[in-house]
Amino acid sequence: MQENTGIKFLVLIVLLFIAGYLSLFFAGSESITVSELTLNNFIFWQIRFPKTLTAILAGSTLSAAGLILQIIFRNPLAGPYVLGISSGASLMVSISILAGGSLNLLSNFFIGKSFIVVSAIAGSVLVTTLILAISKKVNSSVILLLIGLMISQICGALQAGLEYFSDATSLKSFVTWGMGSLANTTNFDLLIYLPIALVCLLGLLFFIKPLNALLLGENYSQNIGVNFNSSRFYLILISSVLTGLTTAFCGPIAFVGIAVPILSRMIFKSSKQQLHLASCLLLGSIILLFSDTLANTLIKNISLPINMLTTFIGAPLVIYLMFKNKSW
Amino acid sequence: MENKLCIEFKNITLGYKKPGETISILKNINLSFFKGDLIGIVGLNGVGKSTLIKSLSGLLPVLKGEILIDEKPISNYNLNELAKKIAIVLTEKIGGFNLTAFDVVSAGQMPYTNSFNKLSNHNLEIIDKAISICGIAEHQNKLLHELSDGLFQKTIIAKALAQQTPIMLLDEPSAFLDFASKHDLFLLLKKLTEEQQKCVLVSSHDLDLILKYCTKLLVISNTGIELISVSEAKTNKAFHEIGGGFI
Repeated sequence: MQENTGIKFLVLIVLLFIAGYLSLFFAGSESITVSELTLNNFIFWQIRFPKTLTAILAGSTLSAAGLILQIIFRNPLAGPYVLGISSGASLMVSISILAGGSLNLLSNFFIGKSFIVVSAIAGSVLVTTLILAISKKVNSSVILLLIGLMISQICGALQAGLEYFSDATSLKSFVTWGMGSLANTTNFDLLIYLPIALVCLLGLLFFIKPLNALLLGENYSQNIGVNFNSSRFYLILISSVLTGLTTAFCGPIAFVGIAVPILSRMIFKSSKQQLHLASCLLLGSIILLFSDTLANTLIKNISLPINMLTTFIGAPLVIYLMFKNKSW
Repeated sequence: MENKLCIEFKNITLGYKKPGETISILKNINLSFFKGDLIGIVGLNGVGKSTLIKSLSGLLPVLKGEILIDEKPISNYNLNELAKKIAIVLTEKIGGFNLTAFDVVSAGQMPYTNSFNKLSNHNLEIIDKAISICGIAEHQNKLLHELSDGLFQKTIIAKALAQQTPIMLLDEPSAFLDFASKHDLFLLLKKLTEEQQKCVLVSSHDLDLILKYCTKLLVISNTGIELISVSEAKTNKAFHEIGGGFI
């Protein structure tokens, strides 16, 4: 069993390199070959490189957030997108773009970006707390999912209202950003995105024990020496920051957060969450890198929205699980 | 051999707090429990059996007084220290997330592992021993939802055993079990108290089993709480009320 795990991880790492290579060199209207790559190749360094790194960051952060949410809710169908957390973050981003524009906050790059990131995180903290309060009243994981969808509808409606009142240029950026995109992140954005994501993901290393204990529920985890309330508080904070951060840069990306932890549990028949954390980071990156490559190569000269592809992967998986009624 | 004092209730009031009101269920309790005791907690539904178990395990703070575990107040223990003193077996179902019987039992060793939860050979030995004592060795790699109710209950007891605690608390462990599994379960508890000198408190509605296997009875009724020996049960008024005249 131990050796098997090693081989599976090796395969994932190889897949990550292949997916990274494809995304770097082929995911666009022009293919670049390694031999013609120079230090001042504009397309490679200013477009492909940030997009590929963004795919890795978005995949890792959303998958880790999904894993945390599934453990906290002890519900294999939880995830940042399906519970409406991404929508909450999006709504706050729209509000902050409009408000920030009128307050003239966005003219300075770092202040403007930080303002948007903080708003997105606030949005996801708000929705996560709301869902947590509701989850205490309902026992069914499917009903929780429906409530999450309703919350995301409400956020969507509010956002549509905001769009109605915005001018043509910000409208276009709202709409394209709302579809989810890996291509809007520049190298300068990455200077904010990368360090925060790394700090959060590394911070999760301190929560290996709680992540494993929380699977047994509140009473048992307290009884084996894990402080349930404080662990849950910090884990929710981390997952909200991860979701908010990625939503601020890429828009709401669908189904990665819910599908990747499920896939991870299908591949590794283990309940060790340290193992799933590692595999979620890899799997999430691989899936977004491949989705990005497909989105840019399926139809020549057209870049499809990334959410189209992630939904095609994620939604059938969720439907399958609901039919199978087995808790992964 | 004199049995050693293990748990002491000093003028305790149990209950819970709701916003705006405090509901006390059991008042002014003074009790002592010793190592090697298998104590059956009996009482009608809603009389406070679960409240007692939750308070004793530290999951629910007491309203008044102080529970002493090994002569030290429960509030002076940190969570990890308390996890090495008291292990609980509750009625709630757990499962999913690829959890196997082995995984649940190994969670019992969590108070003894490092922060990455790495199991050393010593940890694994204790887990294996708990598994074999509870007789679930051949089922240890099954997922939780593949286990029968009896095996599931034994798995949770093995988890409690792997916690290596002097005290074990069980809340209605026999509730969903068939006849043979119930006897099996109480025999296991009896073995644990006798061989490992644990102090085991078990609540149950199976009065016949309690009379057969336990050394003492904790009778909870509306008039109060009393600790009696099994031979006293026949003449105890509160116990007869719980039995509804059928005992």
